Amino acid sequence: MNDPLPWLILFLPLLAAVLIALFLQGKPRLSALVSVGAVVVSFILSLDLLAQFLGGAMLSAKFNWLRVGHLTIDFALRFDALSLLMVLIVTGVGAVIHIYSVGYMKGDPGYPRFFGCMSLFTFSMLGVVLSGNFFQMFIFWELVGVCSYLLIGFWHRRPAAADAAKKAFLTNRLGDFGFFTGIILVWSMAGTMDFIRVREEMMRNPELFDAAATGVGLLIFCGAVGKSAQFPLHVWLPDAMEGPTPVSALIHAATMVAAGVYMICRVFFIFNVPALQIIAWIGGLTALMAGLIAVQQDDIKRILAYSTLSQLGYMVMAVGLGEPPAAMFHLGTHAFFKALLFLAAGSVIHGMSHEQDIWKMGRLKERMPLTFWTFLAGALALCGLWPFSGFFSKDAILALACEKSPTLFAVGIFVAFLTTFYMFRLILVVFFNRSKSDAAGHAHESPLIMVVPLFVLAAASIFGGFFGIEQFLAPQFAPAPEAASFFIKAAGFGFAAFAAGAVTAFALYFKAQSDPLPAQMQWTCGLLRHKFYFDEIYAELIDLTQESLAKAANALDFVLKLVIRALHGTAELTGRALRLAQTGNLQTYTLLFAAGIAVVLYFMLLH
Amino acid sequence: MSPLTVIFVVPLLGALLIGLVPRNYRFVIRSLALLATFVSMLTAIWMFCSFDPGQAVRGYQFVEQHAWAPSLGISYHVGVDGINLGLILMGAVVLFAATCVSWRIADREKDFYILLLLMGGGILGSFASLDLFFFYFLHELALVPTFLMIGLWGRGEDKTYATFQITIYLSAGALLVLLGFLGIYLQLPVDQRATVGFDLVELTKWFKAHPMPPGAQHWIFPTLLFGFGILVALWPFHSWAPPGYGSAPSATAMVHAGVVKKFGLYGLIRVALPLMPDEAQKWVYVLSALCLGNILYCGMVAMRQRDLNLLIGNSSVAHMGFAFLGIASLSLIGLTGTVLVMVAHGFLAALTFALSGYLRDEVKTLNIGEMGGLLSRLPFIGTVMIMAMLAGCGLPGFAGFPGEALVLFGNWDRSAVVTALAIWGALVIAGIYMLRAIRQIWHGDKTWTEAPDAPNLWRKFPFGLLLAGLIIFGCFPRLLTDNIKISVGPVVRSIGADPTDTASSPIPILRRR
Repeated sequence: MNDPLPWLILFLPLLAAVLIALFLQGKPRLSALVSVGAVVVSFILSLDLLAQFLGGAMLSAKFNWLRVGHLTIDFALRFDALSLLMVLIVTGVGAVIHIYSVGYMKGDPGYPRFFGCMSLFTFSMLGVVLSGNFFQMFIFWELVGVCSYLLIGFWHRRPAAADAAKKAFLTNRLGDFGFFTGIILVWSMAGTMDFIRVREEMMRNPELFDAAATGVGLLIFCGAVGKSAQFPLHVWLPDAMEGPTPVSALIHAATMVAAGVYMICRVFFIFNVPALQIIAWIGGLTALMAGLIAVQQDDIKRILAYSTLSQLGYMVMAVGLGEPPAAMFHLGTHAFFKALLFLAAGSVIHGMSHEQDIWKMGRLKERMPLTFWTFLAGALALCGLWPFSGFFSKDAILALACEKSPTLFAVGIFVAFLTTFYMFRLILVVFFNRSKSDAAGHAHESPLIMVVPLFVLAAASIFGGFFGIEQFLAPQFAPAPEAASFFIKAAGFGFAAFAAGAVTAFALYFKAQSDPLPAQMQWTCGLLRHKFYFDEIYAELIDLTQESLAKAANALDFVLKLVIRALHGTAELTGRALRLAQTGNLQTYTLLFAAGIAVVLYFMLLH
Repeated sequence: MSPLTVIFVVPLLGALLIGLVPRNYRFVIRSLALLATFVSMLTAIWMFCSFDPGQAVRGYQFVEQHAWAPSLGISYHVGVDGINLGLILMGAVVLFAATCVSWRIADREKDFYILLLLMGGGILGSFASLDLFFFYFLHELALVPTFLMIGLWGRGEDKTYATFQITIYLSAGALLVLLGFLGIYLQLPVDQRATVGFDLVELTKWFKAHPMPPGAQHWIFPTLLFGFGILVALWPFHSWAPPGYGSAPSATAMVHAGVVKKFGLYGLIRVALPLMPDEAQKWVYVLSALCLGNILYCGMVAMRQRDLNLLIGNSSVAHMGFAFLGIASLSLIGLTGTVLVMVAHGFLAALTFALSGYLRDEVKTLNIGEMGGLLSRLPFIGTVMIMAMLAGCGLPGFAGFPGEALVLFGNWDRSAVVTALAIWGALVIAGIYMLRAIRQIWHGDKTWTEAPDAPNLWRKFPFGLLLAGLIIFGCFPRLLTDNIKISVGPVVRSIGADPTDTASSPIPILRRR
């Protein structure tokens, strides 16, 4: 199909990025305008596409990118309910965050670079979402990774930011190793990498992957573990908060980290039962671990980052339990409220002149009322209070767990409790309690260009549950779930968890000036504050394996050089020794000549 | 006259003309060098664009042939097909860029440019030649100036030893290749030596119809494999490369690492594989083991380097592992990937050595530990180098990615384990050393007061040119692969593998349906 519309949606942001990179380096205002314009136009065009889709038009577009032998790699755009939903989230939430950034990044010397990277990210993310085959997805997968790298390290003069960027990229590379290997494996066994055709092949021949089926599924899942920061590759996401806050909102909360979840929903057909079980448990474990760590963090962005990890764990668990629409539903609502929470946190940080420690904040409700109310809306949505959007999506996942696995259901309820607990801790400390620092006293509300996006996202967070995202997606994934989207048992337990969390938080933190928990539970809190020592353990592991191997290789290389030097030395020594014979003295030569004749005569006469 | 002749004779003529210019006419000397390489590059671009893919099946295009020594069967014979098309384009672009970045050479400029043009003209001629004699001779013409340039304009305390080592290694490699070529020639029946002779097209035809006896293949193939292998720094014969490039002046490192080094890979694909298919089958296992040495071992060595040039040198050696892996796959996909990797690596190696040369001149150090925070001081150079380093760890959008991906896909059916290890090398090991280098050189809070950025468009141009090569072929790999696969097809067929399929896998680890 030669409709230019799909291509425009994808390539407009790229065009903006190229324009900014080549021509707009010294023009901050214009670069922001171009970048914001591209994403807004993309959003409007995708709304048009949605209308066409609802009207029944099946859209797809492709051309061939590479063809050698029986390896065919197409560049295809695939529009269905799943990808359209993501396109709308990426461009919609993206547009809001772009506009917010215009205010937030004001005065930064790297302003055009920031918007260039943001546009490049939007392009890459749309590429991931619209991919029609594994290989194309991998290409954009790597591109979003590099955009994330560039934006985490945006303030590259700060060593912490530069280190965090490197860590994020390398951790993702570990996951991509599995992903790429899995892709080759799929291709070599199915003969194609196109999603639809692999699915057809599998339907025609259920034994396609036979013994390797679980392996294929888990290798592909590796990619999601890296990008969606699931245990054991979760360590990069909290550090990624070193990037500017709009980046944390767009990339490390709403869209890119959700790409892993999107990917496993996209290729859901490839997972067999054992693989799905492992996926569900990895998700549950991540949700639990991150929720626990969040309880003892003091940096406002890190609390939100661990909360993101925890929510991603929910989504992965939902996929593992066999219900991609539930996962995508939560992905959608999470994109709204988590972007909102980050932007509101950014507004707080902006108002506090870049202070991020919650214990230095306080009473901000009075000084930043607009930020407070929007933050509260986001937090309640995250905690899953009816009728906020988070309630519906979380409820769907909890009901699913309730039905499939009691243990995971218990985990889910406990994580819901933790979520409410740490969010109320955050709200009480930041917005209500008295603070010790001066900065909190001088805090000011953010400019309009930052507050309006908060309201847009707050509206989406409140009403997002009523859009019927799950029903929109359901037809794509047989078997269709029952129409009811309200599960009494799960909702009851969920509300109990919410109430328990809120009450505990009030009991502990109302008017608290410092955290009372570490004094009471020293050992546990130490463990949580140090994030279960994952960073330390990994550093030690890397030192033991990769670094030792590298050192060994380097030492061997040095020895090799010495051997060659020794060879060189021997040759040179021989040469010097032989040079002694070349004296240039006629008498010596005559002597040697005579000796030679004597030797020859001796041998000849002897025989 | 064939454009191929123009492409390589113009630089050689340029060298001759510069020889006639008095030593102190420095502007004239540099202009002549720039003009010659520019004409050569334009012709190469024109040739690339007017190459007819529809005719690629028939064989070589832009052919020119003149008898030269009929009694020995040596003729001047040039032509281009999918395999050397991209290489010649890349070589001509790299040569021009190398001439551009040499503006800082102040000492014995005349000799420098003469040698540089000899080097570039020689290797371009070698790639164009379809006669083994000229193929070999023109490569030697490129090789000898390399040694001289490292010896005369080289830098660093280890310069003398590095020159010595690179000379011994590469001469030994070239000698083995010569031995192999003579061996091939002697396998011809006496009455055919004048007609078939050294002509590559005729030789290929002849040995296809009359396969070489296994006894002869048995020693000629390994001779060529290791001869060519040494020239490309096949592990464990790689130790000449990092210190050699580390000491070389930028232009020399660019042209040698980017272009001259590809002679070995090109020779393997063009000569060794099609003429000795049976023996090739036996050696691929050794080759795929050795190329893991390149990819994993040299990658790890690169991690430990403190000197930027040694890091780039080791990483360049590691990249050659992918090219060898594609050859070892003996599959259409893998070999196509190899040729793509060769072109991509040419641009990449030239770009990184040009940038590291800029840093050495401006920052006065290449010790990674002493750098840091340079991105704020050198935004243009820094951005380009970060892009180059990301390209070096296989980022999509740059030409290395489709090349390496093809190699990996092509080799999977031959050995899944080797491929998986190579993927580890491509994604993880390369990522580690490149990102660490970016972190330590460009990021951080160190403040610099000297070290100016590339001041104007003219100074930025060579970097932009090489980067454009990487990006264009990275985004549109079919510009190259469509021609490569047609020309590689017969090579794969002669080995007995079906070019429509991947390798004829003797040990099916994971059987394709």
